[in-house]
Amino acid sequence: MIADDLVIEKGVTARDEWVTVPADRVRDALSTLKTDGYRLLVFLTCVDHLIDSSREFPGRYEIVYQLRDLEKPANIRVRAFIDGDPPRIDSVHDIFPPANWEERETYDMFGVVFAGHPGLTRILMPDDWVGHPLRRDYPVGGEVVEFSEEHEIWQTAPEEA
Amino acid sequence: MIKSPSPGVTVTRTGEQGAFGGELLTVNFGPHHPSTHGVLRLIVDLDGEQIKRVVPVIGYLHTGIEKQMEALRWQQGVVVTDRHDYLSPPINNLAYALAVERLMGVEVPPRAQVLRVIMSELTRLASHLVWMGTSGLELGAMSMLMYCFRERDTIMDMNEEISGFRMHTSYIRPGGVMADSTPRFLEMLDQFIRDMPGHIDEYEDLLTMNPIWRSRTIGIGRLTPEDAKVLGATGPMLRGSGVAWDLRKSIPYSGYENYDFEIAVSNDCDCYGRYLVRIKEMREAVKILRQALDKIPDGPVNVDDRKMLPPPREELETSMEAVIHHFKLFTEGYSVPPGDVYVAVESGRGENGCYIVSDGTHKPRRVKFRSASFVNLQALERMALNHMVADLIAIIGTADAVLGDVDR
Repeated sequence: MIADDLVIEKGVTARDEWVTVPADRVRDALSTLKTDGYRLLVFLTCVDHLIDSSREFPGRYEIVYQLRDLEKPANIRVRAFIDGDPPRIDSVHDIFPPANWEERETYDMFGVVFAGHPGLTRILMPDDWVGHPLRRDYPVGGEVVEFSEEHEIWQTAPEEA
Repeated sequence: MIKSPSPGVTVTRTGEQGAFGGELLTVNFGPHHPSTHGVLRLIVDLDGEQIKRVVPVIGYLHTGIEKQMEALRWQQGVVVTDRHDYLSPPINNLAYALAVERLMGVEVPPRAQVLRVIMSELTRLASHLVWMGTSGLELGAMSMLMYCFRERDTIMDMNEEISGFRMHTSYIRPGGVMADSTPRFLEMLDQFIRDMPGHIDEYEDLLTMNPIWRSRTIGIGRLTPEDAKVLGATGPMLRGSGVAWDLRKSIPYSGYENYDFEIAVSNDCDCYGRYLVRIKEMREAVKILRQALDKIPDGPVNVDDRKMLPPPREELETSMEAVIHHFKLFTEGYSVPPGDVYVAVESGRGENGCYIVSDGTHKPRRVKFRSASFVNLQALERMALNHMVADLIAIIGTADAVLGDVDR
């Protein structure tokens, strides 16, 4: 089990068990869970909680790790909240190899920087894309028409994250 | 990081010395190549004909499905879920529908559950048929495509009969299914279940002992059980490596615990093993379909909740309340309680999951599709290392990645 000082909060939502851990100690928490038998990283993703008044969140970006124990079988969801521009968290690609691409996808879509990742580049969007599409402040349908003058200005704009 | 040549350039010299006295070449493969099952691009480092490095480049089919889901109401999102893994739409619908239902705390009636199982298994068959047809075609068994697409077309006809659509059915929805099955659908299904075992024997006659097929697949693309587990592979990739893990057995959903079927496993750990798993799975799917058809109960196919599903057409003419519900549902939609939930279902390719986050409004805050193809494709390099470049086709084929599912 994860040490008590690592657990900020835990609970069960809609039959799904979850635990919140401090973002700077996410590697400790995940490697402890891995030795406990949760050997499969089902998925890793991010949720942008920008202007969500339904609940209280300690940070804007929630990084979600869904783990599974194939023997029991049991699931657990590990959550960590981060802020900042760009938001930063440690990479877990060496603990769970499937995280490699998932972290690249999360970087691509949310601009979350995974420290220690061997090649954090865009994976789904083109390499010269500006912005991170799944952020809540990235408009849907807000792209400009390709090859127009506007498009040129937008394409050459400096990248923030 | 490998320095990638631009898609236009096909061969680049690396300057590295190979084991056979030649130089390592970087070869661009795809994205528009018939054997990549969509638009997968691979940058392959070759020493002579041996593969030394494979870097998949994906994203050519990225359609922003997760972003679109955030702009659609809960009931509208179903239509989009059809389109990421375009070979198994009802299974994608099912993952999404189960997730929404779990968060809302509703349980669908028994008849709807059985209809969901029927649609899922038909889709699994259709998906495996496409896989077998195209993989056979790539490895020199031309006639496989004709035979497999014949049966797939029967399944498409059944889809059309039950939902009106041949491919993107949107049949399974939060709260139940689109409509009850027609008597003709059940007749077609009965006939299909009678015919299908004979057809599967036909495919086996063509492939299982076929010397060309065996020499192209046996010992190719080895993936040990440990590697498969470490790399997070699911579905036939994992079962083909001898790990008996099937979500329908381990974490049953939609009443799968009531069916008698076996997990298809092969200890071959190679392309041939994955082929055997899929053949076995098709036989098991027919078994499940027979049981489902035999015990399909009567009754409603949707939850009785006017806040979630529209009232029947005839009520609209007599009941003011029904009109109000109808109006509210089609202007605002229903809202889902705040929270997050992850539901996984077993698709033809592995674990297809749906993670949804609700903020209590009528639109999702975040929808994440956990796609089996995306994770399975990461095992490609492990499988292809030190094989000949021609074997890469067999390996991509048996990994069965659907690029729409990889890129979403």
